[in-house]
Amino acid sequence: MLNLPRWQTIVIIAITVVSGLFALPNLLPSKVLDVLPHWYSQSRIGLGLDLRGGAHFLLEADLRSVLTERLTNLSDSVRSELRKQQVTFKDVNVEPGRALVISLRDEAQRAKAIEAIRILDPTLVVSGSGDTIRLAYSDAELFRRKKEVIDQSIEILRRRVDETGTLEPTITRQGDERILLQVPGIKDTTDLKRKINQTAKLTFHLVNEDVAAAGANIPATLPPTTFLAPTREGMQDLRRSNPKAWEDIQAANPRMSPEQICRRYQPQCLPVLKRVVVGGEDLDDSKATFEQQQGGRPIISFTFNSAGGRAFCAATRANIGKRLAIQLDGEIISAPVVQSAICGGSGIITGTFTTQQTQEQALLLRSGALPATLTIIQESTVGADLGADAIRAGTVAAIVGTVLVALVMFVAYGPVFGGFANLAMLVNLLMVFAGMSILGASLTLPGMAGLVLTVGMAVDSNVLIYERVREEKALGRSAFSSIATGYERAMSAIIDANLTTLIAAVLLFGFGSGPIRGFATTLSLGLLTSMFSSTIFTRMLLSVWVRWRRPTELLI
Amino acid sequence: MWKPVHLFAFKKKFDFLGQRKVALIVSTLINIVAILGVAFVGLNFGIDFKGGIAIQARAKQGVAQLDTLRSTVGALGVGEVSLQEFGEASTVLIRIQRQDGGPQCVAGAQRVLQKRAGAGWQAKPGAGGTGDVELTAPAALDGAGWRDAVSRVGLTILERQLPRGATNTAKVDMTPEQRAEWCQQVAIKQVEDAIGANYEIRGTESVGPKVGDELMVSGIWAVLATMAAIVIYVWFRYEWQFGVGALIAMVHDVLTTLGIFVLLQLDFSLTALAAVLTIAGYSINDTVVIFDRVRENMRRYKKLGLIELLNLSLNETLSRTLMTSGTVFVAVGALVLFGGPVLYSFSVAMLWGVIVGTYSSVWIACAALVYLKLRPDQLRPVEEQEKAEKAKT
Repeated sequence: MLNLPRWQTIVIIAITVVSGLFALPNLLPSKVLDVLPHWYSQSRIGLGLDLRGGAHFLLEADLRSVLTERLTNLSDSVRSELRKQQVTFKDVNVEPGRALVISLRDEAQRAKAIEAIRILDPTLVVSGSGDTIRLAYSDAELFRRKKEVIDQSIEILRRRVDETGTLEPTITRQGDERILLQVPGIKDTTDLKRKINQTAKLTFHLVNEDVAAAGANIPATLPPTTFLAPTREGMQDLRRSNPKAWEDIQAANPRMSPEQICRRYQPQCLPVLKRVVVGGEDLDDSKATFEQQQGGRPIISFTFNSAGGRAFCAATRANIGKRLAIQLDGEIISAPVVQSAICGGSGIITGTFTTQQTQEQALLLRSGALPATLTIIQESTVGADLGADAIRAGTVAAIVGTVLVALVMFVAYGPVFGGFANLAMLVNLLMVFAGMSILGASLTLPGMAGLVLTVGMAVDSNVLIYERVREEKALGRSAFSSIATGYERAMSAIIDANLTTLIAAVLLFGFGSGPIRGFATTLSLGLLTSMFSSTIFTRMLLSVWVRWRRPTELLI
Repeated sequence: MWKPVHLFAFKKKFDFLGQRKVALIVSTLINIVAILGVAFVGLNFGIDFKGGIAIQARAKQGVAQLDTLRSTVGALGVGEVSLQEFGEASTVLIRIQRQDGGPQCVAGAQRVLQKRAGAGWQAKPGAGGTGDVELTAPAALDGAGWRDAVSRVGLTILERQLPRGATNTAKVDMTPEQRAEWCQQVAIKQVEDAIGANYEIRGTESVGPKVGDELMVSGIWAVLATMAAIVIYVWFRYEWQFGVGALIAMVHDVLTTLGIFVLLQLDFSLTALAAVLTIAGYSINDTVVIFDRVRENMRRYKKLGLIELLNLSLNETLSRTLMTSGTVFVAVGALVLFGGPVLYSFSVAMLWGVIVGTYSSVWIACAALVYLKLRPDQLRPVEEQEKAEKAKT
């Protein structure tokens, strides 16, 4: 058992060295890190918000209202469709958040009614009997719609919170209807809430075709009714060809007007009329879809509320053949040609789009307004100095704990055995750091407590082994045989002891959130890696040592 | 170079199980007291489980004046307030009960608006009796102005809920539940306004009613699931008598830890729950080491009486039991002394868990084997074969 094949020794050393390399960026001073390649020096363990300082919000989306609203819109369409098909009905009711119930006057028209409704929304599940028809979203459809609302909210939050691209917010889904928003380094939540509340400015403008006819030679003075705005494509080209200019534009304070950007950096721009045809607040929905006829090209469909629909209808009727520019936060995301008067509140944008492009554009159109009310149901803010205090306390406790444990081990098991156990403890810490770097986990204050606990528990395996070695030695075994038997006999208890604690740690990870997960992470990683460092690694050390020193009597 | 010191090498052999009746009575009493304590005195639940607000503030000069603070914050109409010194004399932890979203919260929102957005602002509950709130501005505001104002009272809101064009009143639609969540934010702002002149707000935390209730339920599940999983593991690895012994010891450790939380009125937060779960896992550590030896000895000394055999095993494993607990004790001790106020409850609980875990392994888990009348012929034969094979190699 102690005679390790050479390849095993090499593998053990290799694992240790690789862990050390992964852990190293966390331990090196920043001066050294600056010299190292970026990809290596950047792979460090992040600090949790409780150590770094920052704000943490758990937001809940009011999906029920969103679904109810969509169903209410649908009920209007159902009413008019049924009237058109000459189906008589008593009433169309909305069951909040779930379904639509139609009561017919004449049971005989049921099949006709269902056929008419199917066309409106084929995803609805039809049930009910006699003169009532119940239209509900299927569970899969409900799930898809909820997911869509949450994804869209996340996308919008990202745009709003991190306009400048410097805040590094973490925005993630939590369960079915929640969003976790973490912003490091900020303490004033009023400012953050102001950002969450701010709306992207989505407006529809007519293109001034008279000016646009001049092509690239846009005159220096424009009519007072007209302004220049860069197209999104143009801005993206600029970002590629002249990153410096793009950064300047982002950093400019106060923000540059679209016209200033056009004049100064000359990306592709369009002259548009200042008058707003419709605003983004009137846009209810927009999605990427496919054309029904003509080979099913990818297109974007959109729906206005009634006020928006009327304004849009009037504007399109009067301007067939002209382009309608859709401007989002100062950039023109699209300028489709008006093909016909668009009345009835919904329309489509066609063009030579790929599916991915239509999805992007639909998302951009939707990003004018959050689809659902987001209520803050949990919040925490940590000042940077509070975080610094926590780091200090955690570090002191970790160092004192480690030193004390190391002392105990040295005293109890002597320089050789105690030294090996302590070396293994350090290797264990390195492996935990390496594991966290690889997993991209952040270190939290409870996480530091987990590290301290790991230090105390990791040497337990060595205690079990060494105590067994002592017993075997007392029974009169040789040095070599005592060590070998000690490892073998202690193993089952070590595995049991570690696994039971590991069970608790893993379940805690599954249940917990925020900083507590940090504790579960360091503790589980520490227990797992200690099974390597305290047993396999120390056995390797001892086997080398025994062969080198050939001790006749063990000092243990 | 120095020689190793055998820290826990006792010449004397202890008759541990001779005292099992005393231990049984004492432990039972302590557990009953712990259960009664949890039931009637109650755990001092932190805001994680109860919902509510915690604000850490530090006096800009000198020490924190708890009495003045108590009356200042108490007068805000935010319900029950508790204060404690936190780590140092200048720092105070203000805890406020969770807000129910009643009309006094809307009055609070008006104060916050007047302080932060200007005198003339008004806020009153909507007419419908739901959670709606009606805001009145001193002058007509456009969309941007409204957004700014509602941000100042901590509201996140849908733009389409706000009035179009310039108006001076706006009705914010809310369900009563949504208003209760928002009132948490209002309470924080009120405290900030009330004490901000003399105190620096270092950190705030608020848990709304919904999350608090959920965490409470899932916390209980987490404890039960952990204990079940560990017992299943021990049962799988050992004979059922060992599983029962380990379970009783673990329940004992968890209950007495809860008892300590009640006795010292330590803050029972998520970190405390982490301590309880870790103690449940760690409680088994010493127990399995002893059980392992009991099983080994049972195979070796088939004729020995159970009590003698258990005593023998306990004495043989005593030094490692004390050493393993000792190293963890030392590490956790460092946390208690230096880990800072946030980890204090966690560390104290863990320290207790280490001590009681060691005690219960000896006097509870092993005593249970006596009462369950474990006999050598109940050991699994499969293990015997494995052992025999190992012995050959």
